[in-house]
Amino acid sequence: MAEAFSLYTGQESLIHKLHPLTKLTLAAFMLVGSLALPGPWPTYILFIAVLVPLALLARVFPRLLSLAWRVVLPFAISVFLIQGFLWPGGTPLVAIGPLSLKREGLLFAVTSVGRILMVVTSFLWFALTTRPDLLMTSLVQRGLPSNLAYIIVATIQIIPRFQQRASTILDAQRARGLETGGNLLQRARGVLPLVVPLILSSLVDVEERALAVEARAFSHPGKKTSFIEIAESGWEPLLRWVVIIAIAALIGLSIWLRTL
Amino acid sequence: MYPGARLPALRDISLDIPEGQFYAVVGPNQAGKSTLAYAMAGYIPHFYRGRLEGKVTVAGLDTRATPLHELVLTAGLIFQNPFNQISGTKFTVREEIAFGLENLGMPRGEMRTRVDETMELVGINHLADRSPLALSGGEMQRVAIASILAMKPKVLILDEPTSQLDPIGSREVFSAVRSLISSEKMTVVMIEHKLEWVAVFADYVIAMVDGQILANGSPSSVLTLDTLQMAGAGQTRYTRAARRARDLGSWPDQHELPVTLEEAEEAFRRLKTGA
Amino acid sequence: MAELKEDFSTTTWVMIPVAIAINIAIGQLIFALKIPLYLDSIGTVLVGILAGPWAGALTGLLSNLIWGLTGLNVTYAPFAAVAAVIGLLAGLFSEAGWIRAWWKAILSGVITGLVAAAISAPISAYVFGGVTGGGTDVIVAIFRSFGFGVLPASFAQGVSSDPLDKAITFLVVYLIVQALPLRFLARFPRSENVREEPEPA
Repeated sequence: MAEAFSLYTGQESLIHKLHPLTKLTLAAFMLVGSLALPGPWPTYILFIAVLVPLALLARVFPRLLSLAWRVVLPFAISVFLIQGFLWPGGTPLVAIGPLSLKREGLLFAVTSVGRILMVVTSFLWFALTTRPDLLMTSLVQRGLPSNLAYIIVATIQIIPRFQQRASTILDAQRARGLETGGNLLQRARGVLPLVVPLILSSLVDVEERALAVEARAFSHPGKKTSFIEIAESGWEPLLRWVVIIAIAALIGLSIWLRTL
Repeated sequence: MYPGARLPALRDISLDIPEGQFYAVVGPNQAGKSTLAYAMAGYIPHFYRGRLEGKVTVAGLDTRATPLHELVLTAGLIFQNPFNQISGTKFTVREEIAFGLENLGMPRGEMRTRVDETMELVGINHLADRSPLALSGGEMQRVAIASILAMKPKVLILDEPTSQLDPIGSREVFSAVRSLISSEKMTVVMIEHKLEWVAVFADYVIAMVDGQILANGSPSSVLTLDTLQMAGAGQTRYTRAARRARDLGSWPDQHELPVTLEEAEEAFRRLKTGA
Repeated sequence: MAELKEDFSTTTWVMIPVAIAINIAIGQLIFALKIPLYLDSIGTVLVGILAGPWAGALTGLLSNLIWGLTGLNVTYAPFAAVAAVIGLLAGLFSEAGWIRAWWKAILSGVITGLVAAAISAPISAYVFGGVTGGGTDVIVAIFRSFGFGVLPASFAQGVSSDPLDKAITFLVVYLIVQALPLRFLARFPRSENVREEPEPA
């Protein structure tokens, strides 16, 4: 798995053993809950009651937290400062010089941070526990067009190569002292002549890759089969249905709450 | 004739390749060898939007009338760049080989057997659980060959399969192809620059220059043609040595030029004994 | 729709993963070089131009989902619809022949950027509190301090960066498609939108 670009770490845990679609429904539950329900508290409730236990069960909690932290923090700071202090009108809570922290702003910031947190962590939890190729295979078995599955898995596998080529460009720029030094125009001008050949050469590859994949009966009509078999425990389909019903209930609840 | 081109890539081609033979195609660059391969496999006219005049049949199938996805089952094509032939969708070699079979909708049990058979045939059992992207060039190319063979084509066409490989990789590929021919009686057409190998393995050699066929015959008759060497297609080192000897006057005109090590040994021995 | 099937040839299917990888690799490179642009849609625009609006839309959509699925930048995932629209517009502009001249290409980029900013604003406002966590939040701050709502302030932030970013993106793609050899360009379904194809002799 090291060759593909994926967060998946092959660990032994209850969650890792689950069928990819089961994990997908669980992640969808968290996502829908965070975005559909109004107010600042649902996201934090979901975080503590659902995400944390799931992450602990999957033994990915530390990694998840460290990845999420880096992404959420800049947002949190920005939201808190800007929306908290610059909220027009509203009721001031704390005053710092000419600016004051408004209650509405604080509430808004808390709501937003909760949403960002849940969006990021549900995606991360899912990515850390699911093998992309198994996910795609299971989706194809349920009717996803196989070409879409091809795209996603192929992309994941070729990203590392492109990153390497890009980092070669980065090293070249660094050697010229253009990485962070040099003014903006210099950096931009230096990178363009390197980026265009990168793109051109990868487009040339496209032709041969298309020929090669055609030779593997890529455009053969008819249903495709799967070499790998994905195991799942007998109770998983039931769990999936329960979660799907729960998602529907969440949506109903959020509509009702918003019309109150 | 490719779109945007001023001249056709192939002219006046008339070829008949019988079953079960190993044909090598040699010639300088831009001679139209790849175009010939694509025409044989049906990529021309289906994949390349150009102009094709005349008729091409592979194992009885007319390439113009048969759709490409059917043609590829009869004529498998192996390309130069091993990396571009890895589908990029599978994480083990075993799954990679099954990719074509999945596309064909083969049942799982049958796929398992076919994959195992093919890995045995190409001699890559030891690579079964490795990631296809983490292999050496020669290994990757053999996986590509296995992936095509798994679909059991009647004809295997290889377009300079060793040009991006080191000597070890090249040898691996040539041995694999050679064992295929002897065990499976496959019809093989290989475009190659490494003429020493061609001389040893090929049953027949087709020489192409400027989009036309210069010669079609046994390795020793075609590879020793002066016109071929002058067109820039190269020669085996044994032929070169013998030509040098001939230029220096030490080689009798009526003796044939050798193309392989054995022929060279034999020829020089005859010289020495004056026979 | 026979045209749609033609757009999605094998070459298109193979190109999309490459285009997405280009999006990601260049997006990351630009970020590492601290250039204040995104340039994360070059692949999307390329596909839109060479293979039509729907292929472009698909590329954008999947691109952002993959940014999220691989954990590279999960915050991209909610903007998948925006990326899809970028690809769609690229294809439409190409259909209209706007990729045949450099200044028209740039204009297409500017318009696309404005549309992108307009669609991003509500997503940003709802999910991300109207901020990006980056330097351009200064613009959000300014507008908020003048009493503008969260949504308009977010839109203002978008307008300050997207049109320029997309203009440059479209220009780069224009240069690339003009630099491709004709024989190669002919491989793609919508290549006639880019250049006149001379008849074979």
